[in-house]
Amino acid sequence: MQEIKKVTVKVPQAYLDFMNQIFEIEKKAANLKEENSIQRNLNKMKGILEEEFFKGSSTIGLTYHNPLGEGYSDTRTDCEATIAGTGVENLEIIEVIKPIIFYAYQENDKVIKVIVQPAVVIVQSKNSNL
Amino acid sequence: MENTINFGIDLGTTNSAIAKFVKGEVIIFSNPQDYGRNTLPSVVSYRKDKITVGSKAKEYLERDSKSVVGVFKRKMGTSESFKIKSINESKTPIELSAQVLKELKTFVNTGDALDAVVITIPASFDAIQSNATKEAGIQAGFKQVVLLQEPIAASLAYANMKKGREMKDGQWLVYDLGGGTFDVALIKISEGEMKVLDHEGDNFLGGADFDNMIVEKLVIPKILEKHSFSNLEDEMKSATGKFNAKYYVLLRRAEEAKITLSSKTSAEILIDGFEDEDGNEVDMEIIITRSEFNEIIKPNIDGTIDMIKKIITRNSLKPIDVQFTLMVGGSTYIPYVRSRVEEVLQIPSNCEIDPTTAVAIGAAYYAATKPKEISTGDNNKKQTSISIKASFNKASKEKEELFAARITGDVTGLSYRIIRQDGGYDSGIKKLNERINEDLPLVDGAYNFFTFTVYDNQNNVIETDIEPIGVNSGFGISGQPIPEDICLEVDDYDNPGKTRLQLIFQKNTILPTKKTITHQLNKTVIKGSTDEVIRVNILEGSHLALPEANKVIGFMEITGNMIKRDVGKGSDIEITITMTESRDLNVAAYLNMVDQEFKEIFNPKARFTSIEFLKEQVEDLSDKLELEIQEATDKEDYETAGALNKLKKEMETVSEETDNLTNDDVTDKRYQLEDKKRKIAQEIDSATKNKRIQQVKALYFEVKEECLKMLDENGNDHERKTYNDIVAQEKAFFATNSPMKIQEKSDEMQSILSRIRWRTPEFLTRIFQWCKNNQTKMNDQAQAKSLVDAGNFAVESQNWERLSEINSGLLNLLPKGAEKEATTRIGFGL
Repeated sequence: MQEIKKVTVKVPQAYLDFMNQIFEIEKKAANLKEENSIQRNLNKMKGILEEEFFKGSSTIGLTYHNPLGEGYSDTRTDCEATIAGTGVENLEIIEVIKPIIFYAYQENDKVIKVIVQPAVVIVQSKNSNL
Repeated sequence: MENTINFGIDLGTTNSAIAKFVKGEVIIFSNPQDYGRNTLPSVVSYRKDKITVGSKAKEYLERDSKSVVGVFKRKMGTSESFKIKSINESKTPIELSAQVLKELKTFVNTGDALDAVVITIPASFDAIQSNATKEAGIQAGFKQVVLLQEPIAASLAYANMKKGREMKDGQWLVYDLGGGTFDVALIKISEGEMKVLDHEGDNFLGGADFDNMIVEKLVIPKILEKHSFSNLEDEMKSATGKFNAKYYVLLRRAEEAKITLSSKTSAEILIDGFEDEDGNEVDMEIIITRSEFNEIIKPNIDGTIDMIKKIITRNSLKPIDVQFTLMVGGSTYIPYVRSRVEEVLQIPSNCEIDPTTAVAIGAAYYAATKPKEISTGDNNKKQTSISIKASFNKASKEKEELFAARITGDVTGLSYRIIRQDGGYDSGIKKLNERINEDLPLVDGAYNFFTFTVYDNQNNVIETDIEPIGVNSGFGISGQPIPEDICLEVDDYDNPGKTRLQLIFQKNTILPTKKTITHQLNKTVIKGSTDEVIRVNILEGSHLALPEANKVIGFMEITGNMIKRDVGKGSDIEITITMTESRDLNVAAYLNMVDQEFKEIFNPKARFTSIEFLKEQVEDLSDKLELEIQEATDKEDYETAGALNKLKKEMETVSEETDNLTNDDVTDKRYQLEDKKRKIAQEIDSATKNKRIQQVKALYFEVKEECLKMLDENGNDHERKTYNDIVAQEKAFFATNSPMKIQEKSDEMQSILSRIRWRTPEFLTRIFQWCKNNQTKMNDQAQAKSLVDAGNFAVESQNWERLSEINSGLLNLLPKGAEKEATTRIGFGL
């Protein structure tokens, strides 16, 4: 019988808070109408979190994923969702309050990712009359 | 086999939890599907093919009330049942509770046989309701179910926490304010026996109401102060309202603010992302203070206090007769709840136990005292003759991968569940059929493991022969490895005027791949000027070889003509190198200071050779050859000299032909010459390698000896460890026969040495003396003087730490020109 090997990783909350802030900035930067290169700095910061922070340990680092626009169903345990609107079929993620944060590490040459923060999202049916 | 029950379950109206007594301690099992949470929302959802219990079901509760059921505990013991539209069946509160209990069984990861359990019930439950709870336990597969009243459980958790101190005979209150319900009970302990004397409750009051009130009474009015909306509240709260999604965002933020207010006196709520009726964007951050929050929840809290007063009056008690009010339930984290109850009743609030898990913990303590009355039968992992043949792609670039399985054996009454190991996917518990097809969502760029578990109808695990499902996503399978290192040429600060290679992608890295490297520029490039250029030169070949010996695969020059304004020395250049699966090389260089990016794509079909750069390289190589011949001859190393002399003729031809090339030559000549140059460089490299290896080895041993001496005198453990690590690798890096590699280790050793030196009084005093001698050259004379004064004092008082700081300060005051000027062929270096 296989074992349900559940890897639990404790990442200090401050790192997660920090990533959530970068995510917020990224969201705001995307809304800026005038030309800018804020995204570059954000990518740099994300790169540091992904590659530099845990250098020396066997870890790869932290990354996040913005699930905006993706489909949603109750099998998605990587998101904590609130359903807005009227329907529950054909749900789509329409707002992302917090992104999914992954912690990646290497095991026998395989990159393994563990979710350390599920996304907090608002979803709505594509068929909703809203 | 244990002979006491040991397992306790808090089967709550809104949340449930399971705990176990193990050797004097109670452990709470965490929810495997809910990120470190210990509780399971008591909500059950039915779909055509599966049942989901917990937070996923809760998400659908409000919107899909015909298929999802919650708060059924209130209906326990009634003949009422819930019609479930999706499966066209009715479910009783007992059946629903049994689902919650079955789900809780899956939390237990200790491999225990779960056949007996203590389940808690509210103090208000009558005999019928109690029996209904027992029945739910039996339906969930428990053979023995013992019931325990919730306030007693909480009190037991408290009593056990106060280990070693006997609970005095007397009375206290258990105040249980959770997410959606409120209960209060009066407990009496007499001669070691606890019992519930009286209770009151409100089934419709809890933390969720407070979140609502924050939005309704604080947030919406504050939005309306600044923006015009004719019907904001309705537009938010109505499912068909324009701002319904925003309402839920605000509820989430309100909940966060509420939690913050438990530890801080104010919290912020961000409101953004929509427009008011005048077309103005709403983007505000409002501050909610603890007193504002307290004000809005006051009527509700006072309502709970009135209930306590009723109990006190009914039992002819005075506040002084009650020892304390034991706070239970998540909402008692709110400081105002604790203080208000204490203030009005004049009974001290007791907040010593974890309010969210106290009931389950208490139940487990109780379970540890209850003997098991059932025969210790077989383990709950039942053996069956089920065999599973699974098929799926072991590697995939899709977002989802189809998993198909054929099951042989009797599948009647069995169900299955597939869970992704990272916790991001849970199929829910579904009916097992002879054939299963499931789309499994994959996390990009990682190995995805799924576990496939089969359960019987009471959620006991059934043994099967299936192996874990592993799918590699994104890269690694169809991608090809790079045959050679990919490197970037950089200025070599150890050998001024020379360059070296920085490894970007190691040989055998799987494509596609990407890396960003940041360097500080070591030269200033003036806008419009062509005197100074920055070169980004990407080469293929061993990163330990000489740059000239490798093949250029991408080359880019940034001149003053291309930039918007001057780029200063010391500013950053970010070089991003991407290689696609078809080996297309994308190079992007970004100059931070001017916020400009230069991009080019190089593909293997076309080679990029800058004639100007080639000429420079050929000239350098020619000089180098002369120098090496001279050196070898001087050292009477005739073998090397002979080998090098053979190359001379060839070198001369290449020099001549390169000189004759015009900068706009369109023939293949430049490529041929580049190849020839590379070959000569490789040969020089191998002819002189021994010499260079000897040089760097000698240097390495010199540094090592010095380092060991310093370590003995002044080293710390960390430095010793670093030293030992390098020494342990000695054999390996000598065996590489690469001067670069040995140099690298020598540098690491050198940096240990410098660190130790920088702590020794002699060295610090020497540096300080040198700074004093150069004081007149310093930028800020006044500051220099005050630092020198401070330094003299530090020397006198032997405060070496301070002297070290002062030295750094003084060195910083020296004009930049005084620093060693790095030679700058590339524009950045190592």
